[in-house]
Amino acid sequence: MRKKSLFSRLALGTAAACILLPVCLLVFWSVTARWSWPSLLPERWSLRTLRELFFGSQNLWQLLGSSVALGGAAAAVSTAIGLFAARAVALYDFPGKSLVRFAWLLPLLVPGPVFAVGIHLTLLRIGLADTISGVLLVHVTASLPYSAAILTDVTAALGGGLEEQAALLGANPVQAFFAGSLPGLMPGILSSLSMSFILSYSQYFTTLIVGGGRVKTLALTLVPYIQGGDRSLASSYALAFTGSALLVFVVFEAFIHRGRKGDGGI
Amino acid sequence: MWKRRTAYILLLPLAGVTVLLTLACGSVLAQSLGYVPAFGLTRLTLDYYWAALSKPEFFPALLVSLRTALLSAAAASVLGTGLCAALVRRGARGMAVHLVRLPILVPHTVTALFAILLLGQTGLLARTAYFLGIISDFSQFPQLLFTPGYGGTILAYLWKEVPFVAYFTLALMAGVSSTLGEAAENLGASPLRAFFTVTLPLSLPAVSQAFLIIFLFAFGGYELPLLLGATSPKALPVYAHLAYMSPELRQRPAAMALYGVILLLSAAMAALYGILTRRLLRRIGGGV
Repeated sequence: MRKKSLFSRLALGTAAACILLPVCLLVFWSVTARWSWPSLLPERWSLRTLRELFFGSQNLWQLLGSSVALGGAAAAVSTAIGLFAARAVALYDFPGKSLVRFAWLLPLLVPGPVFAVGIHLTLLRIGLADTISGVLLVHVTASLPYSAAILTDVTAALGGGLEEQAALLGANPVQAFFAGSLPGLMPGILSSLSMSFILSYSQYFTTLIVGGGRVKTLALTLVPYIQGGDRSLASSYALAFTGSALLVFVVFEAFIHRGRKGDGGI
Repeated sequence: MWKRRTAYILLLPLAGVTVLLTLACGSVLAQSLGYVPAFGLTRLTLDYYWAALSKPEFFPALLVSLRTALLSAAAASVLGTGLCAALVRRGARGMAVHLVRLPILVPHTVTALFAILLLGQTGLLARTAYFLGIISDFSQFPQLLFTPGYGGTILAYLWKEVPFVAYFTLALMAGVSSTLGEAAENLGASPLRAFFTVTLPLSLPAVSQAFLIIFLFAFGGYELPLLLGATSPKALPVYAHLAYMSPELRQRPAAMALYGVILLLSAAMAALYGILTRRLLRRIGGGV
């Protein structure tokens, strides 16, 4: 049913304006040289901030590389753990299932700062505080609820039938999973990857505490720029940060769509 | 083929994460009760809680955090449900859904910058108001940022969380609307009546979950109140972090008591939510 009522037009129009206005404003500010009160448009444009961004004191490419690598690793681990748990809950019968669902929602219920400070204490004890592995572990925990929820939905929808058939035809469990279920699970796996990537990429407080200042990400670098007065420089960093995150996300989405078109045979 | 033992093996990594999370909360609570063997403190005491609670900064910080979280979550739930209904009416797919997803993907720190560029006294809204002749100087534009009302913080949360509620509720509401909602309309109910008596009540489980997630997130949120909030009163997580960063290590248990308060209140809120929604959903028949 697609009715174009006045209400839905008005609501979606307002939402679109509210969502896009600040984004456009950010793009404008990032290439502004002078935009004084009360002009509605910048008076002078400049590529100063972009030069500062790409060739300035902070090494953007290194920062970008390590942030993307960290996000990618967190996404892979979180999706793997989520997939294991999703299979257990969706395909197997065992007592205490509601406990499992509670366990993977727990990271949403524990407040971020408490979690960060507490896990830092725990990691200090096992020697992982102020290391990349420690930060990775924390990012994985933060994205696990989303991975588990997405993957349980797709696993339950697909069921175990195809794997059973593969097993009947002589495949071992691993082969049965890869041949039977993996193709059908791919859209869910990709959206879990992209969601966890975004979550890891935008972590600020957890990285700050658990990384102890030794792990640097783009999210950490951005905050002092926002607190400082240079709106143009802050905007160009924010643009690089958000733009790179969205780019990775869009690539994943493209794969999901191509996959959907590709497996029309099933 | 589906042996129970395999299920337990598959759950081991999740169990590991859960253990880590429990240890994290446990360490915070232990230190807040004065148990820090590294500093030679081993006697359990509630003194640090009393000391933290009796500081003059504590209650204003607590109130600001509760108020910000409650207003953000309530407004986001109402507006987000409306946005979701609009998306459902348009078939729940296409460009509009992609657009609504965008704020979910934008980090909170960037949202803070949005607020500064848009809502500040020299921001775009103030300039527009000047251009339209509503104000004659930027000092006449209402101050939203860095004020004790935390208006800028709440608006920044709304920019991110209204779309979150809409997206979170979309699958359920689209499903309900295309089946029972449409049945109600075929039986003669107006679209408005069908929405309020059938589709909305049956979508409430998702809306109320989103409410809790946002409330807890905003209550424990650090970035937005840090970047957009007032110097006094500080939001509770910002205040706690300041105490945590104190170079005086003996003060550590006092900082942990603040984190303990955040943790216990969040747990209490989640429990209260569990009790209230169960009752509410049973009363309106929306519980499944």
